[in-house]
Amino acid sequence: MSERALLLTHDGLATLVEELAAAGTPAVAPAWAGDAGRAAGASAAARETEYRTVSGAAELAFGERLPRLSLKQFFLPPTEVLFSWRRVGGGVELIPPPTDFAAQVVLGARPCDAAALPIVDKVMNWDYADELWNARRAATTVFSLACGVEDDSCFCSAVFLEPAAARGSDGRLTPVDGGYLVETFSDKGEAFVAAHRESFTDLPAGAGGEVLAVQAESFRATARERVAGNLAVDHGRLRDWLDHHFDDPFWAGLGPRCNGCGVCASVCPTCHCFDIVDEPESVGRGVRRRNWDTCQTCVFTLHASGHNPRQDQNARFRQRVEHKFLVYPLKFGDVLCTGCGRCSRACPTGQDLAEILADIDARAAIDAGAGAVGDEGAADEAAS
Amino acid sequence: MSATPTAQGGAQALPRTGTIYQPDLVVVEAIVDETPDTRTYRLRFTDEAKAASFAFRAGQFGEYSVFGAGESTFCIASPPTRTGYLECTVKAAGKVTGSLRQVDVGDVLGFRGPYGNVFPLEEWEGRNLLFIAGGIGLAPVRCVIWNVLDLRDRYGEVTIVYGARSVADLVYKRELEDWAARADVRLIVTVDPGGETPDWSGEVGYVTPVVEKAAPSPDNAVAVLCGPPIVVKLTLPVLERLGFADDAIFTTLENRMKCGVGKCGRCNIGSVYVCKDGPVFTAAQIKALPQEF
Repeated sequence: MSERALLLTHDGLATLVEELAAAGTPAVAPAWAGDAGRAAGASAAARETEYRTVSGAAELAFGERLPRLSLKQFFLPPTEVLFSWRRVGGGVELIPPPTDFAAQVVLGARPCDAAALPIVDKVMNWDYADELWNARRAATTVFSLACGVEDDSCFCSAVFLEPAAARGSDGRLTPVDGGYLVETFSDKGEAFVAAHRESFTDLPAGAGGEVLAVQAESFRATARERVAGNLAVDHGRLRDWLDHHFDDPFWAGLGPRCNGCGVCASVCPTCHCFDIVDEPESVGRGVRRRNWDTCQTCVFTLHASGHNPRQDQNARFRQRVEHKFLVYPLKFGDVLCTGCGRCSRACPTGQDLAEILADIDARAAIDAGAGAVGDEGAADEAAS
Repeated sequence: MSATPTAQGGAQALPRTGTIYQPDLVVVEAIVDETPDTRTYRLRFTDEAKAASFAFRAGQFGEYSVFGAGESTFCIASPPTRTGYLECTVKAAGKVTGSLRQVDVGDVLGFRGPYGNVFPLEEWEGRNLLFIAGGIGLAPVRCVIWNVLDLRDRYGEVTIVYGARSVADLVYKRELEDWAARADVRLIVTVDPGGETPDWSGEVGYVTPVVEKAAPSPDNAVAVLCGPPIVVKLTLPVLERLGFADDAIFTTLENRMKCGVGKCGRCNIGSVYVCKDGPVFTAAQIKALPQEF
């Protein structure tokens, strides 16, 4: 993979978006969620953005607020048909869904959203390969945009990432004077740049180019520094604590603060759980769909007999934390979280994942400390 | 570097067999009314090549479709030693199982599978086998029992303890008669107190105390225990008291599932996915899990 750096000027970006629209290649990018947001003097609350297919540069909201939903919907749609069925004579005919997805490109993905893709790839490919997810992944080229850090809810650096992480990206844009410094990290990224070479400019030779490279590095370093203060955890001891404190009273403090609404899972770039349901379309025909689902609802694990292994919200919230920081790590050697902070921002009751992780990590540190003291510590405790 | 998905993708259409979520078509060959609310369905793949190539092992499960109602998870209740068909035994309890009540012989259903791990029957050769089942928990055990009886020479003594709420709730009644008539099977059938009929000649009592009273020997023995979570939870300590080692006790966990292939995130107990790491577990494995099943 080449690390060749190019420049994408603001004009070049506009040309690129128009060219893609004209060619019918969907370009997904952070865009203004409504007209109110982009108006001069709009309040911070109104400046909402979303990922969507854009057709002109005026829609782009690069470097603005974090899009409300992650990129997940473009790879695992909130609802999608797994197959259609219809009765034919005395039998049934099944019709697979199309998987010959047209090529699409994401321009300006948040690195935390791009990084979620290879994380979910692992779930979608252990033993059984999910054709729909994989086909969309294969059809999509992802260029991320180095992030300047959203707010105090961000904690990408606490989950093995950083605000300009390359993970899951085929290429990366970093803001510099006049536009974006462009790097590519994969064949797909290379091929995309080659196919649209006229929209990109060579870095000025000599000092001019060096200045831009320094600007880009400085942007990334500032962001790294900014997010680092939000959260730091030791995943080894955190995992160990989770593994040994399934019945800890700690969990009873989290359930009462959770409505079980599942917005955390909806906005999460890595939450991938789904339901499978049949939807009749008429007499003798229908579709089977999968829909986004969440472990936070009371029916998620409910048996037909009425038995429910996760009886209360404490157990359901524990599942959310454990799946991300214990179950997935043990299965796949990674964490099921990119630190985007959306769950904390979206939660109607103020449940804050960074705070929860910091709390568990502090408990884990105490446990680890007690362990290090060993028998002597235990003897002191017994004596006192 | 971006990770590349392992499977082919992009501009490529699926074959007619579709995605991993698309079932094979099966036709209902026979229906047996086991109890007022439980039926056994015998299914055969409509595709001859699929019917010929289909193979599974005792303990595995499938996702069964009633088109228009949905999909549900049941074990394969017929033994792998009998080919050309598969059976599931289903109690009407929810949407899909309720819809199955409307199904007739000749209707077309869907089947995905086999999924999950297996009972290590090869390792059990030469050993005595104790089967304990409660209610419809006899379905997964029946698969193993017939597998063993079809290869009878390979195994030692076979003891079966089966309990149901009432005489009417006993499933596989004709097979219970077959087993009772065999000299090479010790069968104990029990019904819960109050569930007996005037002419009932079997035991009366819950499965757990009946097992304790029967006091099967743990020597060179393996126990297979399936039933509602409460029966499993109460009987495990009894087996322990009888001297069965934790790695000589096998059970199946029946968590709610959707995909069956480790994607939908529904069936995990701690770091174990019941669909892929189970459904068969030893008592030793169960004890190491969070008690969330």
